[in-house]
Amino acid sequence: MLARAAGNLYWMARYLERAENTARLINSTTHVLLDLPLGASFGWANLIEIAGLDNLFKENYPVADEEAIMRFLIEDTRNPGSILSCVQYARENTRTLREVLPAEMWERINTLYLYLKDNAAIACRSRRDRYMVLNNLIEQRHAIVGLVAGTMSHDLAYQIIRLGRNIERADMTTRILDLSSAVQFPQDSVLHETLMERIWMSTLNTLSAYQTYRRLISMQVRSGEVINFLLGDKRFPRSVEYCLGEIESCLMLMPKSLQLQQLVAQLRLKITQHQTDGQSAAALHNYLDSLQAELGDIHDALTQCFFHAHDSTQPAGKTQTEIVFTG
Amino acid sequence: MELALSEYTGNTAYDELLDRDLQPRSSARPLFDYLNSLDEKELAARRHAVDDTIMAMGITFTIYSESGNIDRAWPFDPIPRVMARKEWERIQAGLKQRLTALNLFINDLYNDQRIIKDGVFPAEVLAGSGNFRPQCVGITPRFGVWAHICGTDLVRDRDGTVYVLEDNLRVPSGVSYMLENRQIMKRIFPEVFRTTNILPIDDYPTQLYQTLAALSPRPGDQPVIAVLTPGIFNSAYFEHSYLAQQMGAYLVEGSDLLVGSDDVVYMKSIDGLQRVDVIYRRIDDGFLDPEAFNPESVLGVRGLMRAWRSGKVGIANAPGAGVADDKVVYAFVPQIIRYYLDQDAILANVPSYLCMYEDQRDYVLNNLDKLVVKPANESGGYGMIIGPRATPEERAQFAELIRANPRNYMAQPTLDLSTAPTLVDGKLAPRHLDLRPFVLQSDKLFATTGGLTRVAMRKGSLVVNSSQGGGSKDTWIVEEEAQSC
Repeated sequence: MLARAAGNLYWMARYLERAENTARLINSTTHVLLDLPLGASFGWANLIEIAGLDNLFKENYPVADEEAIMRFLIEDTRNPGSILSCVQYARENTRTLREVLPAEMWERINTLYLYLKDNAAIACRSRRDRYMVLNNLIEQRHAIVGLVAGTMSHDLAYQIIRLGRNIERADMTTRILDLSSAVQFPQDSVLHETLMERIWMSTLNTLSAYQTYRRLISMQVRSGEVINFLLGDKRFPRSVEYCLGEIESCLMLMPKSLQLQQLVAQLRLKITQHQTDGQSAAALHNYLDSLQAELGDIHDALTQCFFHAHDSTQPAGKTQTEIVFTG
Repeated sequence: MELALSEYTGNTAYDELLDRDLQPRSSARPLFDYLNSLDEKELAARRHAVDDTIMAMGITFTIYSESGNIDRAWPFDPIPRVMARKEWERIQAGLKQRLTALNLFINDLYNDQRIIKDGVFPAEVLAGSGNFRPQCVGITPRFGVWAHICGTDLVRDRDGTVYVLEDNLRVPSGVSYMLENRQIMKRIFPEVFRTTNILPIDDYPTQLYQTLAALSPRPGDQPVIAVLTPGIFNSAYFEHSYLAQQMGAYLVEGSDLLVGSDDVVYMKSIDGLQRVDVIYRRIDDGFLDPEAFNPESVLGVRGLMRAWRSGKVGIANAPGAGVADDKVVYAFVPQIIRYYLDQDAILANVPSYLCMYEDQRDYVLNNLDKLVVKPANESGGYGMIIGPRATPEERAQFAELIRANPRNYMAQPTLDLSTAPTLVDGKLAPRHLDLRPFVLQSDKLFATTGGLTRVAMRKGSLVVNSSQGGGSKDTWIVEEEAQSC
């Protein structure tokens, strides 16, 4: 498989995962906001912060209200992390990858793009429309993942898609955790416990994890347990540990990846050994930051190993539609 | 389904589907029966479905313009062009004959030049050729074949005669649209395939693969085949990626390849360098190899000519094949066929006047209002003049161009290109069209069943190029005997 094509494929998978996760995050935030009392510090602006996009947002929007933030996150193509941008980049990458993907793949992603292009503005109109459009996006994404899993040969190209998907997913899970842990309430609030529970419930819902959590862990939603679950559970496909396991199993099938495998194994060990119980919010935030940084290191290492390995043999061509990894 | 009668009664051209009394020709009768079964609403709905399908399939082409490149949806007319198998078989034989002779001609030009020594082909035409590559002299590619993929443009005149308009031997495009047009028709009009026996066309990618695989320097092993594209901004990028996908080949850009000191071409893959056996190049000669041709080219691969000359890689079409893709050389094709094959040309050439000869040039200059004049080395309909439709000032300007560089121009009478019913505002109106079949040659010869029908969507227009407002139709070669009437 061509190194350049592999790079495009990896990013295609990341963009699609990012688009889906952003949609999930917006949907569940909408839900939880409906339950929060006045005075809770949690708000829409937190969404921009966890994506690491606050500066870009402030450059383009005077007011950080719901409407502006939704436009920024959903339809604004000046934001490389907006849902429309991600799907557009995924489509542009897919256009260069038709020969390595199942024939229906291009049509699926193209259709998704056309749908979003027509509906992104509608999604920013009202909460109801937004929910509908974002849900459609998530469903179409599922169809794409299913198409890949069920019709594509599970070769190198397939492993690269899994790599991209799981790196992005692991990163996003840490960011979603960070969002919830950032919520502060007025200390005297008698509802503190219940509200915290609501927030964590919504976190689980964002990741479609609520049901699994209740079945595998507890009927009670407590912050320490949710954090442990989403970081370290070995069965739930959106936990950081699970994603890292996927990444490791991909790497085992790929050439010259021994060093990379070690890097991933180290991070897994770090997560297994970490104690989250009783940790302060600030310590948790720092910890999640360090996980993101290490995922970034893995990303850099695999980019160097697989996609840019030949850069020294000839002047490098411009990499297609690669955006700066935010955060 | 209604005919735009006012347009049809004034139509002097041959119509592919309707006879002089505006009755369907026998090969098109089942199609018309079907079309008549659709009411206006149903037809509009199908038309809409066609547009949606084209959007979803992302079938696009790029137009170069001063304001930047625009990706356009492929303009498609849902009314197919129908031709009886019997007529097609004669054309097919003519296409194969033509490409065989042209390849013998190219190989001769780069080697002994017997045809010049025997006085059949003038040395001065070769001397003035913009596409002759001195770098290729002395080479005989495998099977002696230079042009492995040829797109031949055919037109039909008022009396029903089919003429060859030109042979595209450099990097002819359009075959992906031919294949996709059929896919669209199958999706949107599945019923009609039951009433007519339409010959399938989908073996092209396999035939192309085999044509290319035969060029591999490592026969016996499964060859690594790459389609070399200039990149995503090229107008035919859609086709490059489509063909790579259909053949299971790699789609590569120049920067993905390198030529080693062993003269072998390698591809930069994620697990190291991988040998490439055959390159289906979709970039022009001049950009192929900065070492041999244009040193400024960033699209090509340094050392590619070296690799090809030493037989370490197959290239289709071979560098230099374009020497026969020249509108002046075109005029000599009947003589070329006779010279190499000792046969008469099965397909007629349009009568041509070469401006390099004084008497013919005088005729052209005196009859500019009746002729089409084309530059020898352009493609895509650029740089030509349609005399009857030009203003006297435009003709005067063009006459100066001809006098300044006579070798570069040839002229032909304006043909009354045939028409076919085309859906315009809910009615069937006559629109002019041509046909581009694709012919393949390596160890075997192959011609597509039909080809890409290009249609000028504007009333009266004769320009069918997609870069200039042309559309396309599905092309049906039908078996008449098998039809149930």
